[in-house]
Amino acid sequence: MSMDIILAQTVVNGLMVGMIYVLMAIGFTMVFGIMRIVNFAHGEFYMVGAFLFAILYGSNEMPFAVSVLLAVGATALLGLAMERVVFRRFRGNEINGMIASVGVALIIQNSALLMWGSSARTVPPVVSGVLSIGGIVFPWSRLVVIIGAILAVVSLNLLVVHTRIGRAMRAVAQDAEIAQVQGIRVDVIFPAAFVLGVSLAAFAGVLMAPVLSVSPFIGLAPTLKAFVIVVIGGLGSVPGAVVGGLLIGLIESFAGTFVSASLAEILQFLVVIAVVLLRPQGLLGRKEREA
Amino acid sequence: MKRFELIAVLAALVTCSGAAWAEDSVTIGVHASFSGAGAAFAEGMLAATDFAAEDVNKDGGLDVGGKRYKILIKQYDDRYRAADAVTAMDRLMIQDGIHFVVGPMGSAAAVATKDQTTSGKVITMTLAFTPRALGADAPFAYRPVITTGEFSDPQVAWLMKSTSAKQVVSLLPNDETGQQIGVANFNSYAKAGAKLQVEYFERERVDFVPILTRLLMKADGLELGGNSPTTAGLILKQARELGYRGPVFVTGGDVSAEMLKVAGKEAAEGTYVHLPIDTGLPDTAAYVARFKAKYGQNMNGFSPFFYVGLQMLFTAMKKAGSVDDTTKIATTLDGLSDVPTAMGEAGWTGEQKYGIKHQIDLPFYVGQIKDGVVTKVATCDVNACK
Repeated sequence: MSMDIILAQTVVNGLMVGMIYVLMAIGFTMVFGIMRIVNFAHGEFYMVGAFLFAILYGSNEMPFAVSVLLAVGATALLGLAMERVVFRRFRGNEINGMIASVGVALIIQNSALLMWGSSARTVPPVVSGVLSIGGIVFPWSRLVVIIGAILAVVSLNLLVVHTRIGRAMRAVAQDAEIAQVQGIRVDVIFPAAFVLGVSLAAFAGVLMAPVLSVSPFIGLAPTLKAFVIVVIGGLGSVPGAVVGGLLIGLIESFAGTFVSASLAEILQFLVVIAVVLLRPQGLLGRKEREA
Repeated sequence: MKRFELIAVLAALVTCSGAAWAEDSVTIGVHASFSGAGAAFAEGMLAATDFAAEDVNKDGGLDVGGKRYKILIKQYDDRYRAADAVTAMDRLMIQDGIHFVVGPMGSAAAVATKDQTTSGKVITMTLAFTPRALGADAPFAYRPVITTGEFSDPQVAWLMKSTSAKQVVSLLPNDETGQQIGVANFNSYAKAGAKLQVEYFERERVDFVPILTRLLMKADGLELGGNSPTTAGLILKQARELGYRGPVFVTGGDVSAEMLKVAGKEAAEGTYVHLPIDTGLPDTAAYVARFKAKYGQNMNGFSPFFYVGLQMLFTAMKKAGSVDDTTKIATTLDGLSDVPTAMGEAGWTGEQKYGIKHQIDLPFYVGQIKDGVVTKVATCDVNACK
């Protein structure tokens, strides 16, 4: 296998992982940016999305598109319920909100364990085979993940930039009080942003379910990665989440391919430490105004 | 005052009945990783304990010194972490006062709890593959499963001869279990005339494509032994997605059922697996069927070994005439040989290798996955596979 082929495969691997991290991190950073809640239960919505898809598409052999819609929709409803019951009370209360989110994460994870058992489930591939270009092999299953994630990010961008609710979300993220004075209904925007973030996490779970396996414990790693990414990109910054996600994905892929898996983990955290020391607001984040 | 006396009498009756119940029962602790990637192993261990207890209890209890004892079970999850393993063992020993434990499951857990169980004289039946799990310094630790140390050399020699592989790569978790297996496998492959390159990864990892892209460049064999069933399945699936078509060996653990679920029939086709049991034996087949009937899923291959371990423990208790003098029970257990069990006649070995005869002595096998089914292709003992 020549170096060109390995390089190309490494980039594709990095992009796939990176795009999943982007989807996770965007939801995570949106919830923080708008509600000021560091949601450590975010990865559990990824897990629930993946599980529902596994049940609908894998076990019940429902059509792919229907399975995706139902899995993401049901997870979004769970997110809405959690926002109503738990997170709404902690808006703007960062420390208590964070602790509550850890509790919610444990409840969701253990509920999944009780309902679906601890054994890993596999989901039949949505597409199989490989795309071979000039000796470079790209598994279609991974290309589908990249394409799906790009479509989700583009759709989100259109929603946030070009729609009324998207503009309202940006206004609330900048200053909730001023937005309210301007007539924006923040009591609608908060749950809408939370559900949107949850839906992105669920969609990431749906995309990854056929590539990896599904178990009640798959939510923790993406949550930690999302947290690392938003620290790198800047808490509350959606472009920062995109840059951070792709950066971490590519670091993981290149270090894992050319050096060692352990070094890939070390490198990610070295980047985090460097960013925190040199640019505490993150690569694309804004500095907090001092009172 | 009369009312107070009545309460006191009732309290005394409750206490007495509790004491009487405690005297007539023996509790077996199950100390394993019920959550996380190794949950399939833990469920197998619990099922074995459950079956062993069920069998004894349906006959009216364990007859020791003319008294019958009901077998009870108490389980704790160590979450595959050494620190949690110590806490779980403390709870079993101190809080529950248990003298017999099925577990610890992982090598890190076995090493971390060794001093506790030795000083507390708790008889353990571990799944840990590390050689450090057994030894003269752990006189109450037994291993009812056959490990890499026993099966690696004969299996690898047979596999290298059968497939002509020379450059084999292996991915293993970066912990006590993985590193011990890595060293043992490296030596076994060297003895068989092949080179094994071992790459370690953090146990939480689920995407192996970056590592596989590099490792599979020059490899003509992939070794997955030492991984949990889920992880072995994921690595196999991802290796096949990358276009790897060479032979795959799983020379450790019984991962076939779960690995097939995760990787799929197509990706697993042709994979050589360590086969700890022979389902051709009637008692073993009956155990497999019993597991399937009760749990509705395929059994992890380690499960019947723990059933055998408990059969031997119960035999030792009867012979020793005690359910709480663990020193006497352990001495009796050490002396057992040719005990009729669900997997044939069992005894203990390992004096030369571990300095203590606490390693189960049973035959093992090499299997190959063909069309989603594992078929026995060789029968082995510690010297050779045929």
